[in-house]
Amino acid sequence: MTATQDLTTQFRHGVLPQTTSDEFSRQEFVKSLKFHLASKVSLGNHDAYEARAKPAYTKATGAEPQTYAEIRKAMSEDPYFAFWSAMQRNSQEMMWKSVQIPVERQLPDLIAAAGKGAAAEGTLRLNPDLEIPKYHRGVDIHCMPGGYHTEFTADDVANGAVYDTAVYIYAMGRMGPLNSDIGDTTIAWIKENHPDFKPRRILDMGCTVGHSTLSYCDAFPDAEVYGIDVGAPVLRYAHARAQSMGKPVHFSQQNAESTDFEDGFFDLIVSHILVHETSNAAMRRIMKECNRLLTPGGLVVHAETPPYRDLPAYDAFMLDWDTRNNNEPYWGASHELVATEIAAETGFDPAKAFEAYQPSAFEATERRTKVFQGGDFGGGGAWWLWGVQK
Amino acid sequence: MAEHVTLQKKARGERPQYFADPAIDKTLAITLALAGEVAVLRDRIDTIERLAEAGVAPTRAAVDAYKPDSAVRAERDAWRDTYLDTVLRIIHQEREELEQRAADTKPYAAVIEEVVAGG
Ligand SMILES: C[S@@+](CC[C@H](N)C(=O)[O-])C[C@H]1O[C@@H](n2cnc3c(N)ncnc32)[C@H](O)[C@@H]1O
Repeated sequence: MTATQDLTTQFRHGVLPQTTSDEFSRQEFVKSLKFHLASKVSLGNHDAYEARAKPAYTKATGAEPQTYAEIRKAMSEDPYFAFWSAMQRNSQEMMWKSVQIPVERQLPDLIAAAGKGAAAEGTLRLNPDLEIPKYHRGVDIHCMPGGYHTEFTADDVANGAVYDTAVYIYAMGRMGPLNSDIGDTTIAWIKENHPDFKPRRILDMGCTVGHSTLSYCDAFPDAEVYGIDVGAPVLRYAHARAQSMGKPVHFSQQNAESTDFEDGFFDLIVSHILVHETSNAAMRRIMKECNRLLTPGGLVVHAETPPYRDLPAYDAFMLDWDTRNNNEPYWGASHELVATEIAAETGFDPAKAFEAYQPSAFEATERRTKVFQGGDFGGGGAWWLWGVQK
Repeated sequence: MAEHVTLQKKARGERPQYFADPAIDKTLAITLALAGEVAVLRDRIDTIERLAEAGVAPTRAAVDAYKPDSAVRAERDAWRDTYLDTVLRIIHQEREELEQRAADTKPYAAVIEEVVAGG
């Protein structure tokens, strides 16, 4: 990780949007609102469930709710849950608004800054003809207007800048000054479990602005690091951000389901919260592509929030909130994945599949709620990793 | 100066409706946005006071350029949390009541267990 003095604010790299004091205050309010909802309001849902939703459901059906889907049914009409949900949804929309204001104001400057380049030897390869997958065209995932791919002007970096700032607010700073906790945590797991692993080439699939990608440059200084994504604006921004921080990464605009790299080109393929934003079919095509791209002995690791089967049914219900309330259509289904099953279906040896938990690399103990729940991203203090060795 | 670019404001996809009357959804959205703007104003006053205390003229340029350090940010975080306790009073009131009721639904045996366990 790049040395920063202050662990309580976002690191100022070369293309981070500037904010006036009012703009910054508006973003800080959203961060506070999210933290207040997660730490002080959300827990009332559990009391509402115990005090009225569960008894009402049990009376009506003759049995207590067992699964998270049954709990959702029981809670669907609860007024406390509805009001919390409405506030949570608003906090999300207010977050995007609060970061769009400064990005809109200074977009030409950001585009100019992104074009300047700097010290590192990274590259950027865009493909204007790439077809954006259907699962990204239907709805704007997690309510980010325009998603990762929409371009609002020539050489656009807007939604890269929007995403970078918003993730810091969304995670309430608990992924660190570089928003790198998922990457750093995945790396910690790899180093603990494969201490002698020396990958020559590393691929980060669905890298967005490179929050996780850049950590691999420091963790494996002898490796070449590649990042792919389908969105051009986020990749332009990722490249500019990496260059300004002196991290050499090769970014290219490609669909992870079918890339132009040679067979066996990579020793390590990782993704960080990519899987839940794809689809059942796409996820399997991505794993088949990983199989093609890996050298024998190579490793693929995907980082996500825990599968529902590992959680008490009530917690799974709360974690599932995003599926219906935050434009995350594949969130629910992706939380049912079983690593051995996917491995078997995609040509890997299921005996070499794994599922694991790794505690968050970034220390933010005092602000962690230690629960996995909607609207509390990065609050759980651990990430779920799954994958397979070829 | 380069041409002003307008970003898309609405995320594609149907927005869930949380209340029977859609006007309530809108009113809540406006109320929360207003709560945010009050917090922005309060920070601005705080900035003016801090600049004045430091002997800096609180001009618009000085206020706009002010960057709170980590100590000031922590103070403001704490202020906002108390402010949200106040603004969201009605929610916290309901939460307390639900907490009470949820505790009452616990079987008496569970209460004994808790007491024995030292809770
Ligand atoms: C939540 S973001 C990932 C964040 C990032 N990995 C990090 O750790 O900060 C998901 C990203 O996956 C990308 N994506 C989704 N489907 C993809 C696909 N089939 N191929 C490549 N990228 C994809 C999206 O464009 C988006 O940028």
